[in-house]
Amino acid sequence: MMQSIFMTGLGGQGIITLANLISSQASDRGLKVTLFNAKGMAQRGGRVTSEIRLSDNPRQEFGARISSGFADILIGMEIGETINSLSFLKSGGMAILLDYAFVPTTMLLKKEPYPTFDQLTELYARKTDRIVAVSEAQQPYNMFLLGIFSAVAPDISPELSFFSKESLEQAISKKLKRGLEGNLRAFNGGYAHGQSLLQHV
Amino acid sequence: MKRSIIGNQAVAYGALAAGIGVAAGYPGTPSSEALTELLHFSATASQRGEPAPYVEWSVNEKVAFELATGAAWAGKRALATMKMSGANVAADSILSVAYSGTKGGLVLYIADDPGAEAGMPEQDTRLFAQWAGLPVLEPADPTRAYELARYAFQLSETCELPVILRSVTSVAHAKQEVEGEYSYEPLGRQADFEKNIFRYTKAGAVICMDQHRDLLERLKTAESSASKAGINTLQQAESGDLFVVAAGALIPYVREAMSGGNHNELSTLFLESVFPLDTQLAGEMFEKAARILVLEELEPFVEMQLRSEASRLGWRGTILGKLDGLFPRVGKYNLETIGRGLTLLAQGSQGDSPVPASASGGGRAAKETIGRQSTEQPGPAAKAATALNVKHPITFCAGCPHRGSFMAINRALKKIGLNRDNTVVTGDIGCTILGMNPPFHTCWTEVSMGSSIGLAQGFYHAGIENPVIATIGDSTFFHAGIPPLVNAVQHGTNLLVIILDNGWTSMTGFQVNPGTAGQFQAEGSRRVEIEGIVRGMGVENLQVIGPFDQEQSVETITKALQQEGVKVIISQTECALTAARREERALIYRIDSEKCTFCRSCLRETGCPALYVTANGGKSKHGQVMAIDPELCTGCGLCSTCCKFDAISQKKLGG
Repeated sequence: MMQSIFMTGLGGQGIITLANLISSQASDRGLKVTLFNAKGMAQRGGRVTSEIRLSDNPRQEFGARISSGFADILIGMEIGETINSLSFLKSGGMAILLDYAFVPTTMLLKKEPYPTFDQLTELYARKTDRIVAVSEAQQPYNMFLLGIFSAVAPDISPELSFFSKESLEQAISKKLKRGLEGNLRAFNGGYAHGQSLLQHV
Repeated sequence: MKRSIIGNQAVAYGALAAGIGVAAGYPGTPSSEALTELLHFSATASQRGEPAPYVEWSVNEKVAFELATGAAWAGKRALATMKMSGANVAADSILSVAYSGTKGGLVLYIADDPGAEAGMPEQDTRLFAQWAGLPVLEPADPTRAYELARYAFQLSETCELPVILRSVTSVAHAKQEVEGEYSYEPLGRQADFEKNIFRYTKAGAVICMDQHRDLLERLKTAESSASKAGINTLQQAESGDLFVVAAGALIPYVREAMSGGNHNELSTLFLESVFPLDTQLAGEMFEKAARILVLEELEPFVEMQLRSEASRLGWRGTILGKLDGLFPRVGKYNLETIGRGLTLLAQGSQGDSPVPASASGGGRAAKETIGRQSTEQPGPAAKAATALNVKHPITFCAGCPHRGSFMAINRALKKIGLNRDNTVVTGDIGCTILGMNPPFHTCWTEVSMGSSIGLAQGFYHAGIENPVIATIGDSTFFHAGIPPLVNAVQHGTNLLVIILDNGWTSMTGFQVNPGTAGQFQAEGSRRVEIEGIVRGMGVENLQVIGPFDQEQSVETITKALQQEGVKVIISQTECALTAARREERALIYRIDSEKCTFCRSCLRETGCPALYVTANGGKSKHGQVMAIDPELCTGCGLCSTCCKFDAISQKKLGG
């Protein structure tokens, strides 16, 4: 089993925290894991991406970067940046898309139209039919999305069932002591939401 | 022991395992975390009373390299760290030291950035190393970064040359579990520098030519030494004459592509010691090979060496690489690029056509290559994504003092009938260059560290009539801004220099620089004040302003713009992010939705990320008003100086 998870959004959304939780969970499980965070411009409102690759075969050779068309899972936290990341998703891969837009000042001033969530989901629908469209989420969004990821992980691949609700709750409690209650609430909200989506499918 | 660390940290622990005595560097993405980790290790060990190497952020890369060289000449092992552009700054000394060689292990860690993810030139340090005549090791991943960092000191001592450890963003910032010692034992060497002018000076043609001969001999030793150490690996398929050569960071991707594509018929030569060329292994390859595929990012460095060696040996096979136009020199390679290369190699000479660069490369050149490639037309989904493409331009953080400085420059220009489009304002490296972005559009140029002040003098002497303004950050000023300012003072140039002093080297992750407040300086270090330096240079017209006080700032800049000679204004307030890490906010600003007319002056002038549009009614006829995100606002108050309707007011927090 080899999985590549691509995450994208903007600085301040907690993508790196989300990526750290997912990658250390896999690492604790004994999998071979790489993580690449591109966060250089995060503090200035710029694009952030995290790339996780994991394999249960310790002899599997792979580089840390995800080539375009190689992401099994894509988690998009901001509409514009998620549109810019389409090429990374594998055809038929799992896309978890959040309805959140941060319109840059330049576009606010020029009153240029910003892409909508419908445009985003329509775009991704051309590449995959496995889309989790998250139009209502609890803050912090990164924990809500982690909850959804946990709920749908076994559906992506049975080998990802170790991203269970219990194990991730433990990881959050251990690593995110600040604002723990809110984090757990959002995570559980996301988990419940993810489960309800699965039942509908 | 295993730890999950990034490539830069791996370099730090490899150097510690080698027993370095000294490490120095200047911050620069993607290299910075190597020295950050060493500083952290050293401070922690010292506190515990355990041995630790001497580690510092130096004023610039040249000084860092010279400091490391001095330590190595005295017999210690020493490390200097920098990004590729920093190697240019240190170049004068690096080339000179190459001819003298070294005694203690001297390693120069330089990080390149194929794909320009950190937004600087796609400069290939390997070509620089060849010019200097220094061996280059290029690790494949963080684990190898640890092992090769450690080995580099040994190689340096064997061949008596500084060794360049070259990495790229994909290794420097990749995190994985790395087996290592994570400890430090000093080597116990006494510092001892031998007086030998024939080796350590350049006075006289005989000395210089002897040193040149020595350098070439040492390079031969480096080649045989790295070859014996087994840094490079040749793996021959049972009965094949097809070879894949891959260098450094691409090796794991080539392995991945080969395991996925069932390429058992292909032999491989994986190179992590890329200069000088391992002629032993290359010779073995040429004996068997009919066709060779060379995979490396950026310039055809390994390929040029292989073609030259092939010619020397009279080898008559085919080399697939960049020089025949097959592979791009711009951007990163991805698995698709590599897969196409493997297929071309396996299929024979028919249909060798250009391979496109990584899709994330994006730029013009990449499109041209893709355009020539009929099978590479972007699909309808990709086209639709391009049509919807939006960019989030990076801007000053909420509360950044530089915002105030650029607002004040624009306002001062307006006051005397000028504007940002008819008055040249040179910019410099670091956060301050964001003054070129909207909504400021103030800076016209960005060249290299300190260049704002030098360029500005050229504009003045060329006869540009309007006043010329140079803008530069504090760390950049210390780094390379002092000589050009001395030059302006000496020659009586008409010039306004605005030093945007936020007390930290912020763009690269808030490192300490000479101007950082004393309380944050390392043990035994002190603050050097910019004001004293500037006065010491003979600048008489010097003012210090606080950029959040717009009235004072605009007035000071306006006045300076109308005066003759060299004027320096230090615009001083601490970086909002470092301040926010320590201090609770006392107040923030809020917008009264009843008073806001949605004129958006606040947004148009400040571009502050804390401002947003909300549909929260108010009396605006648009049904929309501006609002301030209370989580992001730091209370700088710049937006309130833009509001003609008195809609923005202070709100006290806590107590």
